[in-house]
Amino acid sequence: MPIPALIVPLMDEKALRLLWDDDQISTYPFPYLRGWCPCAGCQGHDGERQFIKVENPQLATIKPVGNYALNLGWSDGHDTGIYSFEYLRTLSDQVAEFNATTTER
Amino acid sequence: MPNEKDILTQLQKIPYPGSRHDIVTLGLVRTVTLQENNVTVHFRPSSATPDTLQRLSQKITATLSAVSGIGTVSIHTGRPSGPEAGPGPVTAPGKTPLPGVNKVIAVASGKGGVGKSTVAVNLAMAIHALGYRVGLLDADVYGPSVPLMMGTEAVPRAGHDKKIFPVEKYGISLISMGFFLDDESPVIWRGPVVMGIIRQFLRDVLWGELDYLIVDLPPGTGDASLTLAQEIPLSGGVVVSTPQDVALLDVNRGIAMFRQVHVPILGIVENMSYYLCPHCGEREEIFGHGGTAKTGLEVLGEIPLVEEVRTGGDTGKPIVLQHPEHPVSQAFRTLAARVIEASQMSIH
Ligand SMILES: Nc1ncnc2c1ncn2[C@@H]1O[C@H](COP(=O)(O)OP(=O)(O)OP(=O)(O)O)[C@@H](O)[C@H]1O
Ligand SMILES: [Mg+2]
Ligand SMILES: [Zn+2]
Repeated sequence: MPIPALIVPLMDEKALRLLWDDDQISTYPFPYLRGWCPCAGCQGHDGERQFIKVENPQLATIKPVGNYALNLGWSDGHDTGIYSFEYLRTLSDQVAEFNATTTER
Repeated sequence: MPNEKDILTQLQKIPYPGSRHDIVTLGLVRTVTLQENNVTVHFRPSSATPDTLQRLSQKITATLSAVSGIGTVSIHTGRPSGPEAGPGPVTAPGKTPLPGVNKVIAVASGKGGVGKSTVAVNLAMAIHALGYRVGLLDADVYGPSVPLMMGTEAVPRAGHDKKIFPVEKYGISLISMGFFLDDESPVIWRGPVVMGIIRQFLRDVLWGELDYLIVDLPPGTGDASLTLAQEIPLSGGVVVSTPQDVALLDVNRGIAMFRQVHVPILGIVENMSYYLCPHCGEREEIFGHGGTAKTGLEVLGEIPLVEEVRTGGDTGKPIVLQHPEHPVSQAFRTLAARVIEASQMSIH
């Protein structure tokens, strides 16, 4: 499983950029990352993934969790999301889709 | 005379260390300003270490100074104020939060008594003998054996701010649970209490500059070892086993544990691999040697069963130090060289 080698919060572009140790770059807009928060509070337990729409979320804290995840905290005080690297890679694969739908609107 | 765009184009020629991507693409350059012919570059706050930023700054200065029409180059790595500041200091995962410590390597086993501590101690001594700066963290909550095996009962010295200095012995730096737990503490409450102590170790031990920190994990794959493997920023794991099949079943649990916490496994050490006859120096494969190859892991070393290994441990004089010419000591140095080589392939 690749892990992030470099973490760059782009506050002006409101996105988080990761360089993975397999040299892939991922860029996640904040609303996208906040929306797919994996915590039980946001996702419940029934398996269906939900998107939580938050207006203009700002990334407030980033803490690595062991060797497998990042704990992200947001300006709305929500900080229970533990984003595993596996999950972040999946989110990375789907970010293009998100960007396309948000610019349409 | 170059404009700001030209300068960005120049900066796009500078790759991030270990990557083919350049520093502009990665977003590390926050602003470039040009006043008359003097350039100012501001880095964005990121998980890049001060070391890396310094190396990049030198590259930037060299690159831009070579462009005609550019005067002075000043580079700022400080955090901007206001909303641009972003989250506080960010560290990349797996990057060692132990300042000054380069590689952290854990020695684990699927079960107790296979010679994990013996291997950890002699591996540390052998890496040191190869010319590296080495530390040894005895994180075995249930049976810390480093004080005995390294022949010291010293109490770590306190530094400022509740920091502690490791104990120095035979040229390596030591910290052991045994220095803090008295023999009476019941094993049952050791677990949780010890987690707190370990966390403290990680933050508060003044290791100084180390090339390698070797960690003797508790035996087995219970909560204690799992938590430790997770809490300690490990660069790699080494699994110790004896060649018997039962032991090999346990090995798979050790492997699974490292995988679970995403620590790369450097390989396996087969201990008590064969019996080296003290009289004729002949090798006897008492346990059916070579079984560890079945795990699919790289076999980093095969350490024979030799009386001097045990006495070295019991008397606090590791065999690598006491009998450097002994074939077992040679086997440990070969193991050390392999571990060094394997750990250099991992980027953490
Ligand atoms: N290659 C060897 N030759 C001879 N004796 C050995 C060898 N390796 C280990 N021993 C001896 O076997 C015993 C157990 O070794 P050690 O304490 O290193 O095992 P361990 O896996 O750390 O055990 P524990 O699970 O209790 O922590 C010790 O007495 C040690 O000296
Ligand atoms: Mg031991
Ligand atoms: Zn959440």
